[in-house]
Amino acid sequence: MITTPGLIESLVAGAQPVRRLRPPVARAALWLLFAAGIVGLLAVSHGIRPDLGVRLVQASFVTGIAASALTGILAAVATFVVSLPDRSRLWLLLPAPALAVWVSTIGYGCLTGWVKVGADGIRLGEAIDCFATLALISAPLSLAILVMLRYTALLEPTRVAVMGGLAVSAIAATALSLFHSLDATIMVLMWNFGIAALLVGLATVFGKKMFSWVAPS
Amino acid sequence: MTSPVEDASATVPGMRSGAGETATKVVHDVDWTLLMTRAQDGDKDAYRRLLEGVTPYLRSLAARRFQNRGDIEDAVQEILLTVHAIRHTYDPARPFGPWLVAIAHRRIVDGLRRQGRSRAREVEWDEEHETFAAPETNLTEAASDGRVLREAIERLSPGQRDAIRMLKLQELSLKEAAAASGMSVAALKVAVHRGLKSLQKIFAKQGGKT
Repeated sequence: MITTPGLIESLVAGAQPVRRLRPPVARAALWLLFAAGIVGLLAVSHGIRPDLGVRLVQASFVTGIAASALTGILAAVATFVVSLPDRSRLWLLLPAPALAVWVSTIGYGCLTGWVKVGADGIRLGEAIDCFATLALISAPLSLAILVMLRYTALLEPTRVAVMGGLAVSAIAATALSLFHSLDATIMVLMWNFGIAALLVGLATVFGKKMFSWVAPS
Repeated sequence: MTSPVEDASATVPGMRSGAGETATKVVHDVDWTLLMTRAQDGDKDAYRRLLEGVTPYLRSLAARRFQNRGDIEDAVQEILLTVHAIRHTYDPARPFGPWLVAIAHRRIVDGLRRQGRSRAREVEWDEEHETFAAPETNLTEAASDGRVLREAIERLSPGQRDAIRMLKLQELSLKEAAAASGMSVAALKVAVHRGLKSLQKIFAKQGGKT
């Protein structure tokens, strides 16, 4: 085994100048810009849902979409802040108010969704389409945040991965409600929650491995 | 040339002896902050001084959680490696101390978890395991052998018992033993010889029983 003075010598010998990280808020803004780009591209290729104009005047829809977007933004900021070693873990509470509002509007949508399912039924095609959109948004965003956090998150992988997963899910949910009509509410929400739970679950179980994959320590 | 860093480090010994612990910490922190900032820019000398400076502090932090010296050193090295790997995340506008302590704390907790996991599935060797196969090295057995010997000596005749005690257990010379007991040297020699024979008989009997 190497001695501590020996280790210090080898670390000093390999000490190249490093570029300091930009402030966490700036890094979060960069990631959100990337997310906006992905959502924008999908809007062009997939098309906005036909009834968006009508829905945008409904208070519950606007509240829901604003809350999920805000959750995404705040969760992204919180993710980049807590990934640094010396920041308070109270930052994890940053997206909590927006998350509470978002979850409460989902609950409402769920109930109305149930009623509509009874009347119209659910088309499977819509659900698969939804899932594809969700995957198309989530995959690049998850990968981007994983790469951006590869070094800083090694200390608190679980905490950071859960918060990052929340940011990705919220952004994806916001995009979905722009692209898909709520006639398939229950399916959209099931996918939404499924993916969110999957991301958070994977983050909890594989948090450390995920980060050690992109940044071998 | 006298840099601000050298100024700061020069004041440390004085602060240590004169002022309280808090003041020392503040000076350390300012010192380490400047050294780290220079290390980020590629100043190897500053980096070496920083790592050598924080090592005793890290060791004291690790020593609060680990007893084994090897574990403490492992934890210190883990912390140093992490500091090296993520040194670009340090923001010079913020104090160095909390940054370092946060990293140290995480690595120490990781070390404790690793230790807990390995203890759950491994059995450590202790004295019992080591001496099990070789009875003559077994300390508890040796202690009971001593008791058996003392009991056997108690059963000797008074003359033989005193001679064995003085010449074999207390390791007195024949002259000293003769002076202490009032017996002649020749009588002592005979008594010891007979005493040893009797002990052999006693042990032979006990061996035969068991």
